[in-house]
Amino acid sequence: MRALVRIIGGLIVLVIVILLGLMLMPMHRTAAVTNLPAGYEPPAGAGERVAIAADCAACHTAPGGKPFAGGRVVETPIGRIYASNITPDRKTGIGNYTLDDFRAALYDGLRRDGVHLYPAMPYPSYRKMTEEDVRALYGYFMNELAPVEASVPETRLAFPFNQRWGIRLWDWASLPPAGFRPYMRSAKLDRGAYLVEALAHCGSCHTPRNGLTFAEKGYESRSADFLTGGVIGAWPAPDLRARDSAAQRWSDEQLAALLASGRNETAGVSGEMALAVEHSLQHLPKSDMEAIVSYLKAIKQDRPIADASAPRSTPAPTAQQLASASPQLGLGARLYLDNCNACHFATGKGAKNVFPNLDGNAVVTAKQPGGLISLILNGDAIPSTSERPERLVMPGFGWRLNDDEVAALATFVRQSWSNAAPAVTTADVAKLRGAVNTTPW
Amino acid sequence: MARRQKKTDVVIVGLGWTGSILGIELANAGLKVLALERGADRDMIQNLAYPKMIDELKYGVRHGLMLRPADSTVTIRHSLRDTALPYRSLGSFLPGNGVGGAGVHWNGHTWRALPEELRLKTYVLEKFGASVIPAGMTIEDWGVTYEELEPHFERFEYVCGISGRAGNLGGSTQAGGNPFEGPRKRDYPLPPLPTLLNGKIFGDAAKAMGYHPFPLPAANLSDAYTNEYGMQLGPCNFCGFCERFGCIGYSKSSPQTCILGALKRKSNFSYQTRSEVLRVELASDRRTATGVTYIDEKGEEIFQPADLVILAAYQFHNVHLLLLSGIGRPYVAETGEGVVGKNYAYQMTGGTSLFFKDLNFNPFVGAGSSAMVIDNFSVGQIDFGKEGFIGGSYISSGQFNGQPIRSMALPSGTPTWGAGWKKGIRDWYGHSMSIGSHGSNMSYRDCYLDLDPTYRNKHGQPMLRMTFDWKPNDIRMTQFMRSKVESIAKFLNPTSWVSGYKGDSSHYDVRPYQTTHTVGGAIMGIDPTKSAVNRYLQTWDVHNVFVMGASAFPQNLQYNPTGTVGALAYWSAHAIKHDYLRNPRPLA
Amino acid sequence: MSHAFLDGYKPLYFSTTEWAFIRAACARLIPSEGEGPGALEARVPVFIDTQMAGDFGKASDWYMLGPHEPGANPLLGFQSPLTPAQIYRQSIALVDEWCTEQKGKAFAELGPDLQDEVLRDLQARKMPLKAELRDFFVLLLQNTKEGYFADPIYGGNYRMAAWKYIGFPGARGAYLEWANDKGAPYPLGPVSISGDRG
Repeated sequence: MRALVRIIGGLIVLVIVILLGLMLMPMHRTAAVTNLPAGYEPPAGAGERVAIAADCAACHTAPGGKPFAGGRVVETPIGRIYASNITPDRKTGIGNYTLDDFRAALYDGLRRDGVHLYPAMPYPSYRKMTEEDVRALYGYFMNELAPVEASVPETRLAFPFNQRWGIRLWDWASLPPAGFRPYMRSAKLDRGAYLVEALAHCGSCHTPRNGLTFAEKGYESRSADFLTGGVIGAWPAPDLRARDSAAQRWSDEQLAALLASGRNETAGVSGEMALAVEHSLQHLPKSDMEAIVSYLKAIKQDRPIADASAPRSTPAPTAQQLASASPQLGLGARLYLDNCNACHFATGKGAKNVFPNLDGNAVVTAKQPGGLISLILNGDAIPSTSERPERLVMPGFGWRLNDDEVAALATFVRQSWSNAAPAVTTADVAKLRGAVNTTPW
Repeated sequence: MARRQKKTDVVIVGLGWTGSILGIELANAGLKVLALERGADRDMIQNLAYPKMIDELKYGVRHGLMLRPADSTVTIRHSLRDTALPYRSLGSFLPGNGVGGAGVHWNGHTWRALPEELRLKTYVLEKFGASVIPAGMTIEDWGVTYEELEPHFERFEYVCGISGRAGNLGGSTQAGGNPFEGPRKRDYPLPPLPTLLNGKIFGDAAKAMGYHPFPLPAANLSDAYTNEYGMQLGPCNFCGFCERFGCIGYSKSSPQTCILGALKRKSNFSYQTRSEVLRVELASDRRTATGVTYIDEKGEEIFQPADLVILAAYQFHNVHLLLLSGIGRPYVAETGEGVVGKNYAYQMTGGTSLFFKDLNFNPFVGAGSSAMVIDNFSVGQIDFGKEGFIGGSYISSGQFNGQPIRSMALPSGTPTWGAGWKKGIRDWYGHSMSIGSHGSNMSYRDCYLDLDPTYRNKHGQPMLRMTFDWKPNDIRMTQFMRSKVESIAKFLNPTSWVSGYKGDSSHYDVRPYQTTHTVGGAIMGIDPTKSAVNRYLQTWDVHNVFVMGASAFPQNLQYNPTGTVGALAYWSAHAIKHDYLRNPRPLA
Repeated sequence: MSHAFLDGYKPLYFSTTEWAFIRAACARLIPSEGEGPGALEARVPVFIDTQMAGDFGKASDWYMLGPHEPGANPLLGFQSPLTPAQIYRQSIALVDEWCTEQKGKAFAELGPDLQDEVLRDLQARKMPLKAELRDFFVLLLQNTKEGYFADPIYGGNYRMAAWKYIGFPGARGAYLEWANDKGAPYPLGPVSISGDRG
C-alpha cells in the first residue's frame, strides 16, 4: 500500500515535466552494443541457454499453458499485467519482430508498435545483455520455437498507470547504460556478474527500490544498494550481501545447493524464488552456478543485515518449553505444537535438506512478515529439481487457523529460539488471507 | 474390440514398490516404460497431508487407502470340501491400492530373509532328514541364495534409508545387532530409532534371560537422508499414524519418498492411473506376450503392445492375471500337478499384552517400526526334529500407535461394554505394552489359489479363490513361541497379562486383521514342473513376462516380506538389464 | 441427564423410534455414570446416524453381489445381503418387537437393567435374529466405540471428551521429543483435525 502511495506521489510531483517534456521526447531505440561480423551465427544451443538463464518461461508461460505463449498474470501493486506471447506467431506473438525490434524490447522495453512495456518486464536488467546473447535469443525465439497462436488479454491499468507514455520519463530517469562491461577481478566473477545482473535479473526482487519512481536503487554490484534486499508483494526478498545474511553465512556448496536444487541444509526456496529455481537456476551449467556463487560471495558487504531483525544475544529456551508439552504454554507455542512441530520440531531446526530451519530463517525474521504469514496460510513447495527430485511440500493451515491464531503463531516463531523479530498483528494476517501472491516488477 | 495403443518397450502392471523399482531401473537403462495402476494417483501432500491424514476412522478403521472389495476381492474357503465365499469386507488382510501401493501404508519393517529360509527344503533335508517334513507339506528352495541376493538386499536398504544396527558384518558378530542374521557387507544406512519404554523393558528382560535383543530394522528414518536417486527423507517424528496411513512427514520409505519423484521426471517413463489390466496377451505360439489389455478410467478396453511385461501388482493379483492369461499350468490340488496358484501361504502371528498399573507408555508416541526384537527362535536356531515343527518367529515388543478405536488392549475379564468397559479404558489405556511373535507359515498341498467357479468380478472374470487353513505344524510353532513370550512376560512381572495365539482348534478367521503378508501362488524355483517363475522371476513358459513380489515366495518367511520383495525386484531388474535385454530368451 | 442437543437433532437416517433405540442402546453401551463422558455426552448417536446415511451404511466399499450365504461359517466373515443401514433398521424393529412381546415395552422404554439384559442376549445371540442380521450387535458396539473415539468431525467425541478422558492427544501427530524410554506421563490435552484445542 505504501509503495502504491509512493508511486502516485512520485508521479504527481513529476506531472508537469511529464506534460511539457515527455510528449516531445523522441522515442529512443538503443543500438547494438557490439558490431558483430556479417554472417555471425550464434553457437548451437546458445539461444536456449540464454532463455533459461534469463528465465523467460517463468513469466511468459501461463500455468498449464504452452511454453512462451504468454498469458501469465503478473499481479503488481498497480494492477494486473499480462505477460505476452513471445512465440514466433505472426498474429499473436513476435513473429514479425526484426532483430532491432527484439533488441528494443529487451533493452528499451519497447513493443514493435512503439508502445512502452511496463517494467514488470525486467528490461533494465536485460539491457545489459551482450549482443551475442541478444542474437542467440532472437534466433532461438524465431527459429527454434514453434509459433503458438494465442491471444493474451490486453493489460488495462487504471489512470494514471494506463498512460504508458509516462514510462518514457521513468526510462529516462532509471535505465542504466546498455551492454555489459566487465569490471570484476576475474573472468569467472564477471561471468557471475553478467548472469546475476543481466540474465537472471536477481535485482528485480532482491534490490530495494527508490521511493520516487519505484526503480531499483542499483543495477550492479558497484552500487551499494544492489541486492541488499527488496520486497515482492508481501514477500521479503532477502538481503544477499550483508555479512550475516544467509547467502553470506552459507558455504559456497550450501549456497549453490539452494540455487540449483531449491534446498540446502537449513533452507528451502519459497514464493517467487521457487519459480526461479524450477524454471531457470536448476538448469544452469555447473560452471555458471559456480560463477554466480563466487560473484555473490565477492560482493559481500561488511555491515549487519538490513531487512531482518538481528538475533538475540542469548537464545530463548524455546526448545525446552515446547518439549515439555505443558498445558501452561501460551497460544503461540501451543499452535506450534499442534501445527509445526511435526516437521520443524521443538528445536525449530527441522531436518537437513528436508525441513527448513526456522531459527534464523530469513523469511521468518524478515522485517516484512508477509512471506511467513503466506506460508502459514497457504503452504508452499520446494520444486522438484534434477539433482533433488523430491517435491517437498508444506501444507497450508489457513483452513485450520483463524487470523488471531496465525498472528499468534507467526509471532511465536519470529520471537523464539534466537529469533527476535517484531510481532505480527491480526490485521497483517487479514490483509493476506485469500490474497493471491503479489508479484512486483 | 480393444483400441490399440502405440507400442512401448515395457509395460508394468501396478505402481507400488516393485513397479517403481522396475520402472526406474528399466527407464535408466533407456527403455520406454509405461506403468498401469488400477487405483488413484497419490502424491505426498495433496493426498497424505498433515493433519488430515491423522484420522483413525477414515484410514485406520474404514481403510481409506485400501483396495475396496467392491472393486476387487477374492473368495475364501478352508478346505477343498467347502464352498468359497467372497471376502466382502476387509478384515484379515488389507491389499493396498493406488500409486505407491502398500508401500504407502506399511509400517516399514524391513528384513532380509535368512540364508536358511531361502534354501529351506535343502536345509531341512540336510540337517534333520526327510522324516521331519509332515505329509502334505510342500516347501521348496527358492532357487536363489542369500549370497546372490545380498547386494540387492543392501541396495533396497540404501534406497529406503533403513534405520537399524547390523548384527553380522561379513561374518563378524556386532554387539547390539541381530547375531542370527545372514552376513551383510555394510551396516544399515542410518542408526536405529530411539528406543521407547516398552522396548527398553523388553530388551533388558531379554538380555537378562540370555537372549540377544536388537532394534527392528525400520523404514521409519532416524535422521534426514538422501538416496541414490537424490530422493530425500526426514526423521520420523513418532506421530503414531503409520500402518494404514500415508506418512505426513516424508519419513517413511515409500515409492513416493524414495523413487517416484525421480522416476516421474524421466521423459521415457509415464504412468496411467485408474487403468486396470485384465490380462496379458500372448502371441499365437504362446511363448511370448504381445502386451496387456486394460480398462481405462473411462471404461474403455485398450490393448497396450509391449516387448516386456512386468507384473508388479499385489500377490493375489499377479497370480490372478497369470491364471486369466493362461500363462503357466494352473495348479490342481487333487493331483498336485500344475504350478500357477500353488503354495499359497500366510503368516503365523501371536501376541501377549502386558498391563502395568504404574507405568506410562504414552502409546500414541509410536512409529511403525519402533520395536526391540530377539531372533533367538528363528528358523536357523530351532531344532525342528526335537521341537516337532518346521519354522520360526521373531519375538518383539513394538509400540506402533495408540489409536484408541483399534488399539485398546484391556486385561482379561474386562467387559466389552458398559460401566466396566468404560472404567477399563481409563485404567489401562497407556499402561500396557505387547510382546508378539511373527512367524513363518509353511506351504501345503491343499493351500493354494485358483479361479472361483461361481463368483465373478465387475469385469465378468472369475474371481480368485483362496483355499487355506492353519495346519498342526504351524500351530505347534506358534504355541512354542507362546511359551517363550509368556516366559518373558512372567519375568517382567506385570500387573496382569493376556495372550492370543492360534491353538489346536483354530481355523482361519477372515474377520480380525492379522497381516497382509500373503505369499505364493507364482513361486520361484529351479524346476519348471514345481515353480511358476525361474530364479529371475521370469515365467517359465513366456519369457518376456516377469512376475515381481511375494507371489514368488515358495513358503512364507518368518519375517515381514518387503525387504526380500525389494531385493528380489533389484535382482530381477539386474538380470533383465544385464542379460535379458541383450538377448531376450528364457534365462534359466 | 438432559441432552438438549440430541433432543433437537433431526436424524439423517433413523426414524423417530429407531433414534430412540439408538440413544437408549448407546447410553447402556457407554453409560454416563461415573468418570468420563458417556456415549450420549459424546454425541455417539449422531455419529452412528451420520455413518448410516453415508458410505459405511450403504456398504459402498464392500462386495455385495450374490449369491449370498448369510448363514455360512462366521469365520468367513460378513455374508449378509443387507447393508449395515438395512441391518440396523430391520434389527431394531425386531428387537423392539421382541422387547414389547417379552417385556411389555419397546427397548427405549425399558429400565436400564432390562436394557442391559436385552443387549447381553443380543451379544450372546440368544435373540432370534435371522442370519442376515447376525452381525447387528457387533456393528452396533463397534460403531458406538468408533463414535466415542473418532475425530469430532464425524459428529461424535464431542469436544474431544473421550480423548481427554483416556489421555489421547488426538491429531497432534508430533512426538519426537517424547520418543524416549523415560516413561514420564504426557501432559498436554488433545487437538482435533479442525484445530480445536482441548
